[in-house]
Order: sequence, then structure tokens, then C-alpha cells
Amino acid sequence: MSETSPKSGYLRQAWLVILLALFYGAALAGVQVTLGPRIAKNKLNETYEQVPKIVPGADQTKTVPRTVKGEVDGKEYSVYQAFSMGGDHVGWVVPASGQGFADRIDVLVGIDAPLETITGLYVLDQKETPGLGNLIVKNEEPDDFCNRFKQLQAEPTLEVFKDEPPPGSNGIRALSGATISSKGVANAVNSALDNLKGPMGALPDRPPSEPAAPTSETDKREDD
Amino acid sequence: MDTLIALIQIAIGAALINNFVLYYFVGICPFLGVSRRVDTAFGMGCAVTFVISIAATLSWAFTYFILRPEAPLPTWVWETLGGDPGTKVDLSVLSYIMYIFVIASSVQFVEMYVRKFFPPLYKSFGVFLPLITTNCAILFACLKILAELQDPEQLWGLHQALTLAVGGGVGFTIAICLMAGIREELDMCDVPKPLRGAGISLIVAGIMAMAFAGFAGMDSGIKDALAMFLK
Amino acid sequence: MPSHEPTAAERFINGIIPENPVYRQLLGMCPTLAVTAGMKPAMTMAAATAFVLIMANIIVSLIRGLLKPHLRILVFTLTIATFVTIADRVLAAYLWEMSKALGPYVPLIIVNCLIISRCEICSSKQGPGVAIADAVGMSLGFALALASIATVREILGAGTWFGLPVLSATWWPTWGVMMLPPGAFLTLGLLLGLAEWIGQKKKQSSA
Repeated sequence: MSETSPKSGYLRQAWLVILLALFYGAALAGVQVTLGPRIAKNKLNETYEQVPKIVPGADQTKTVPRTVKGEVDGKEYSVYQAFSMGGDHVGWVVPASGQGFADRIDVLVGIDAPLETITGLYVLDQKETPGLGNLIVKNEEPDDFCNRFKQLQAEPTLEVFKDEPPPGSNGIRALSGATISSKGVANAVNSALDNLKGPMGALPDRPPSEPAAPTSETDKREDD
Repeated sequence: MDTLIALIQIAIGAALINNFVLYYFVGICPFLGVSRRVDTAFGMGCAVTFVISIAATLSWAFTYFILRPEAPLPTWVWETLGGDPGTKVDLSVLSYIMYIFVIASSVQFVEMYVRKFFPPLYKSFGVFLPLITTNCAILFACLKILAELQDPEQLWGLHQALTLAVGGGVGFTIAICLMAGIREELDMCDVPKPLRGAGISLIVAGIMAMAFAGFAGMDSGIKDALAMFLK
Repeated sequence: MPSHEPTAAERFINGIIPENPVYRQLLGMCPTLAVTAGMKPAMTMAAATAFVLIMANIIVSLIRGLLKPHLRILVFTLTIATFVTIADRVLAAYLWEMSKALGPYVPLIIVNCLIISRCEICSSKQGPGVAIADAVGMSLGFALALASIATVREILGAGTWFGLPVLSATWWPTWGVMMLPPGAFLTLGLLLGLAEWIGQKKKQSSA
């Protein structure tokens, strides 16, 4: 390489970096444009796919997202209004989150339309102890953890008992060896319902004329 | 008061409960490489904490104002240039590139600072100071802050981001100093030949991780304890 | 002193065992410990790293004539960060669950010393063919290392392999610690010791 003054040397070197930066920037923009919608859909589907499972009778495609302002903390939250195929308001899905044993636990709570009885629970995200706390995700048999929330009332506050809940109480039996994880889930449900039940009750009972709910079969709709 | 308790939770979480090295596995290379003596380990820990704080502040600022979905600055630019005001401007695909440059610049800045004001320290660091750029811990802190900024319900402010960064750095320092102390003792022990060096360090790290796992669950109690104490 | 620059075949074989990224070079420890709780996340991470390593090596090798000493690390970093972003987005789009499970460890490929060191040592000095061979060899070595640790951790920790049950839960009490951080450290430490021991035995028998 010939000897050039340092200044022009740096300039010559800089053009390579700038060229590369432009090229990579274009590549990333392309990636964002093509994959961005798909990623957003994946994220939403996490919630939408659970709607029929935790609110009986709900149709996934008829779910309507709503924003409510919590009456306890004043922050804005997203909730989902579940409708049946025929358009009847069958319930709500409320995302809730709380501190578990290890880290945050994110759940989806299904509740009926009059906001009185819990219809289901789904754990979206947790980092509890494998083999102990992480069994909170189980929702298969009649008695597994998530199913213990079914038929509980939204009021009074949910409690967590070490053994079978006494008759007349509103609570669940904790997972053996994972009381703190169980309490974490219950606390998440309680605080979300306390915060949002009031504002949710004020929302209209009918879906807006154009419910914008994405579904999992979107390949037909994409026009690429 | 709630904010203070939340900050203490974040700090203790990052330093002890979810220790960057022993729980999240970031920062292992310097953890194994620089931990032969306690004083160099402590110096490395302080340098990393310093760099993490600067990098976290800069990346929080860039992410909050420019890179997150619907960030204020690009939205304003878009609208000034006559774009449709309804579109959500999302530059988050550039996040990783932005962060690594922020980190490289922070390390460069710290290097210049240390070289000017602490020459003997600079000499003792040698090649390890620029290598802090490839320390996973710093990028990891930035990624955690990004995750909290992308969740519209969390939307961390600078105070939370900085607490996480400093807490993480302090946790890294604690872990690396503990490891250095143990290795100083191990130098006088009869370690089996295949395990000398990285092998035995990792086994020691495993036992340390078990010890630190005892901190788990502390933060769910801290909130109640602090609330009671500060009332 | 004229040095013999390694050929493509030599680079390829080198990367798998003799200069294995994890066991010999001790690089890329962070993902090695973090994602090896199961075979599936481990192999996904190996694939992502392979993609970034190969693409970065190709690009750097193609522009190696233009690289100036001051700016080469910058160029390496820019290239690697771009490909990692692409890999991360592709994972999020097509393997959403796995992307969530791997979490922040995919972007951490950017600071995986393995990739920068391969760019520095090999692809900034030799042609694309050799660079590709080197990258593929190193990726295979990395995948092998991850697989060895993930196999131990998953079989002992959950009794499964790739999610398929291997050890029946009735007679093997799953070692929970294997799925947690301490298990990762202990497994890697002991396997490193084993690799050292095998290496030393080989040296003795060939000496």
C-alpha cells in the first residue's frame, strides 16, 4: 500500500465501514419488514390461543382486545374480551403477573362475563424451580395446579392453603414443596382482579363492529 | 417508598439472587481468567461495574428515545418528514448493533480514563481491559433493560436500569473476588492434573452457585419486610 | 521464516476436536452453560452460532483485502451483530417457543469470543474456501461440545433426550440439580477434566 497522509488514510478506511453499515442496514430493514409481522403475530397468538381453553365457549377469532386503566395503580393494561361463535359475551382473559419464588410469573386468568367466577388459568412464563415450582404450569388432569383455580370466586381474595381448602373458603391447595410459587400465582391473580375488575365491568358488552383478532391460520390472509 | 423498595429488590436480585455469573452464566471468561488473585479480581470487578453503568445508561437512553417501538424521536422525525402519523415506528431491529457499539465506546472511554489517572492499574490490567468489550455481562445487562423497555406495562426508567446495572456489576465483583480467594487457597492444594485450571474452577463455581441458590426466594420476603420496616 | 498456512481440510478437522472451541480453547462458555439443560435448546443454539460463524467468515474473507488494522475489529463486530440480529429474528418468527426459551442468549452470540477469534485468525488472512471450512469445522466442534454437556444434563436431570424419555422415571430419580446452574458448572468442569485426561493419555501413548 502506498504511503498516504494519515487523514486521507482514515477517510479511505472509513468508506468501507460506511458502505458495510448501509448494506447491513438495508439487510436488517428487509428482515424487519418480512419477519416483523410474523413475530408480532406469534406474540399475540400466545394469548389468543389460550382464550378458548380458559374461557369455556369462547371462539378464538372473536376475541376483542381492550385497554383498561387500573383503579389501584392507574396504569393502562390490556385485557381480552371473549365472545362465542354466536357473538355472546362469554368471559374475559386477564393477563396477570406477580413475583414468584425465583422471578416473575406471568399468567392468563379466565373469568366469566359478570366478573364473578374464575373459569381457568394458564401460566405464560415462569422461571420457578424445576420439579417443584415449575409444576404450576400443569393443567391436564382434574386436579393439576391450574385447574384448582376453576370455579373460585373473584371476591373475596383468593387464599392459598397447605392442605385441602376448608369448605366455604375461597382458595386453592398449594403445590407440595412449592408454597411460595403457589402464593405467587394467587397474588398475581388477586392483584390483577382487584385492579381491573371495576374498569372492566364498565366496558360494553357487545364487540365493536370489526373485531381485529389475528388467528393462527393467517397464511391465507397474507398477500406477499 | 414503593419505588425505593422496588429498587432495592432489583439491586439485591441482580447482585445476589440472580447473580450474573452464578445464575445467568454471563461473564464467565473473566471469571475464570482473571480470578487468580483477589486484588486483580477486585480491580476487574470495579472496572466491569464502571463500564456496565456507563453502557447501561447510554443504552437505556438510546433505547428509550430511539430504538423501542413507538419511540418519541423517530416518531417525531417521521411525522416532520410528512409520514402518516398513525404508523408505529419501530427501529428495534438495530438494537444489538447499537448496544455493542455503546459497549465498545464505553470500554474505550474507561480505558482512556484509567490510562490517564491510574497508570499502574492500567499496566496491571494489560490486555484484559479492552477484553471487557466481549464480557457477556455488560451486553446482558443492556438486553435485560431492553426487555423491560419493550414491555409497555413495565417501561423502566433510568433509575431502574442503572440499579440493575450497578447491582449486576457488584454481584459480578462479589463472585469474582470469592473465586479469587478460593483459588489462592487451591494453589496450595493437590488438585488432580486433568482438573487443574479451568476444570477445578468450574467445579468450585458450581458449589458457589449452589450456595448462592440459597438466596432464592429472598426478594419475595424483602418486599414485606421493608414495607413493615419503612412504615 | 515461511510458515505453512493451514489448508481447508486441516482447518476443518482442526475445529472439531484438536482445537475444539469449548474443550480446548475455552471460548463460548456462556451459551455452553446456559442452554445445555436440554438437547433441543443446545442444538438450536449450535445452529444459530454456526449460521453466524459461517456467514461472518465468508463476508470477512471476501473483504479481507480491504481491511485496515485499526478498523478490522469494528468491521468484524458490525458483521457479527448484523447476522446475529438476523438469526434472532428468524428464530422469533419460525421457532417462537424455542426463541423464548433461549431468551437473551442468542444476542449474546455477538460477544462469543469464538467468532471474533476465527475472523481474526483465519478469515481475515485466507480465502473464502478455507474460511468456510474453518467455520464449519469450528461449528461442528461447538455443536459436539454442546451436545456432550446437554446429553449428560438432560439424561441425568430429566431422564429424557431431545424430549424423548430415555430413563424411566420409576427407577431413576431425576437429578434436579442438573437442570439448575450448579449442575451446569459441575458437568462442564468434570467433562473438561475428562477431556484433559484423555488428551494427556494420548500424549503419553504417542510420546
